[in-house]
Amino acid sequence: MKYVVDRLVYLIIVLLIAISGVFVLVNKMPGDPAYGLAVSIAQQRNMEMERALEIAHKLMGIDPHEPLIVRYGRFISNLLKGNFGYSSFYQTSVNEIIAKALPWTLFVISLATLVSFLVGIYLGSFAAQKRGTIIDLVISGIASIIQAIPPFVLAVLILFIFAVRLRVIPLGGAYPVDMEPSFSLSFILKIIHHALGPMFATAIPQMAAWALAMRGNTSQIMEEDYIRFAQARGLKDSVIANKYIKNNAMLPLIASLAISIGYMLGGHTLVESIFNYPGIGFYFGKAIAVRDFGLLTGLFSLIVIGVIVATFIAEIVYALIDPRVKLK
Amino acid sequence: MRKKRFLDFFYDYVQPLISNKKSLAGSIILLFFVLMATIGPMIVPLNMNSDFANRYQRPSLQHPFGTDYFGVDIFQQIVHGSRSVISLTLFASLFAVIIGTVVGVARGYLEGIGGKLLDAIITVFLVIPSFPALLILAAIFADTKLNTVEVALIVAIWLWAPLAKQIAAQVLTVKSREFVEASRMLNMGLGYILFSDIAKLLIPYIFVNFVTQLKSAMEFSIGLMFLGLAKFDPTHWGVMLNYALYQAGALYTPKGFHYPFFVILNIVLLIYGGILLAQGIEEVFNPKLRGHE
Repeated sequence: MKYVVDRLVYLIIVLLIAISGVFVLVNKMPGDPAYGLAVSIAQQRNMEMERALEIAHKLMGIDPHEPLIVRYGRFISNLLKGNFGYSSFYQTSVNEIIAKALPWTLFVISLATLVSFLVGIYLGSFAAQKRGTIIDLVISGIASIIQAIPPFVLAVLILFIFAVRLRVIPLGGAYPVDMEPSFSLSFILKIIHHALGPMFATAIPQMAAWALAMRGNTSQIMEEDYIRFAQARGLKDSVIANKYIKNNAMLPLIASLAISIGYMLGGHTLVESIFNYPGIGFYFGKAIAVRDFGLLTGLFSLIVIGVIVATFIAEIVYALIDPRVKLK
Repeated sequence: MRKKRFLDFFYDYVQPLISNKKSLAGSIILLFFVLMATIGPMIVPLNMNSDFANRYQRPSLQHPFGTDYFGVDIFQQIVHGSRSVISLTLFASLFAVIIGTVVGVARGYLEGIGGKLLDAIITVFLVIPSFPALLILAAIFADTKLNTVEVALIVAIWLWAPLAKQIAAQVLTVKSREFVEASRMLNMGLGYILFSDIAKLLIPYIFVNFVTQLKSAMEFSIGLMFLGLAKFDPTHWGVMLNYALYQAGALYTPKGFHYPFFVILNIVLLIYGGILLAQGIEEVFNPKLRGHE
């Protein structure tokens, strides 16, 4: 139990350093976050820019002369209360945007990660056991080529081929704009239809990565002495393959599964932006484009918290399933 | 003496790489692109003047990769862009390896508060999702024109942490061995122990990581350019891809398909070369995988 508490305290310190670093970084970004709003005020009311900026600052609750440390203190205390800040571009609280966007992202990444994990593990261990044959060559060859395609390039290719040319998947959105969200079957089908693009763009590179990692682990374990010994004892090949090799090869990968779901929260930025899929990554990309500091720090804090929680879960899971690591 | 050293290097590092099929193929692909970047621009002239009469020409003998929206030859741009793609990648990986090695060795060697602090810093960079963080950092410099070294540094900051962690672990296991103890007994000085005794053991390790680093460095720098977050060479492949897909609306023009296609083809081939080399090196230096290609 002491181990768990120690790790938890350590990770919270890491989390604090990471969030503070990002806060400073974002506040060093050039440009006034109220600039966009000020321009529209100046145009609407036909007033001078200086006056409009002042109004915009007041509207957004920003004091441009406020020292960074005061702003930081407010940011952290808000965060502790579960308040992720205010988005100047969407003129709403970041919590509201998160509530709207997070389900879509979680839906896509969890499904894509799980499916790609299961398929990738299967293909990888299959390839390793047929090591040197044509099957292995095809599986690991294709997986390596997929690894060479940057995920955002793959996303663009999928969008281009299936949405623009073949028109079998929609160009963007999470559901048709003219449809009211409901629990009807037709609406659920539409949701799945709209998620297909981002899902494949997320799942395919991951599948290749899992397959290669599993193939590597399996090949390594097949050379271990205890496998030789099991063979010498005359155990059935199928027992060795499943009980001795597959389980041990999968062990480290199960831990990374949790971590990778955490990372996908942030790594999904480009895919969601390319597909115009209204998840966390989409809003993150938007926040960078329009220099929405509040939204940026809020979403980034969420992403870092997600990764830390995932890392913590991974460590616990690993300790639970690996008899060599003892929870003390 | 020097000749013997050279031969040692050859038998230790070069010969196993040539005998492994994957690393050989990867080296050939990478060599091809390095040649493209070094002597290519001298052979192929670059003419960036727009020629609207010839836009979106299909690949032909005159234009091997066709022409783009402005009627500029795509092949010429790819050849000239390879220079910035490759130099950026090499610099970024190099910086990442240097930072990772120095921090990793220091963490492995230092004890007490200093070590704990370095450990926390490494973990922070490990848990911060690198791509979003890279985007924020790049956005800070979006309005300044950066040179290759500066962009490479921005990329490298998000690449070094895994290497540092691995090296720290290696140093921790190595440092209790007898010969390091011996150096310490002889009062050899911290610098000598760090960079002579321990570093020597880590060289093959660093070498492997440098090559694996190449893939991420390429992906990151191309992604950065693709998003238009760094002002840079207009023939950099990431910038070209951005133009190909968005600026000229090539995504929706059936005639323009070859434009993004050839840019993507070159990007994928280059990264694939890096992956093959990395996989080959891993097989060569990891005895458990050796001989099972």
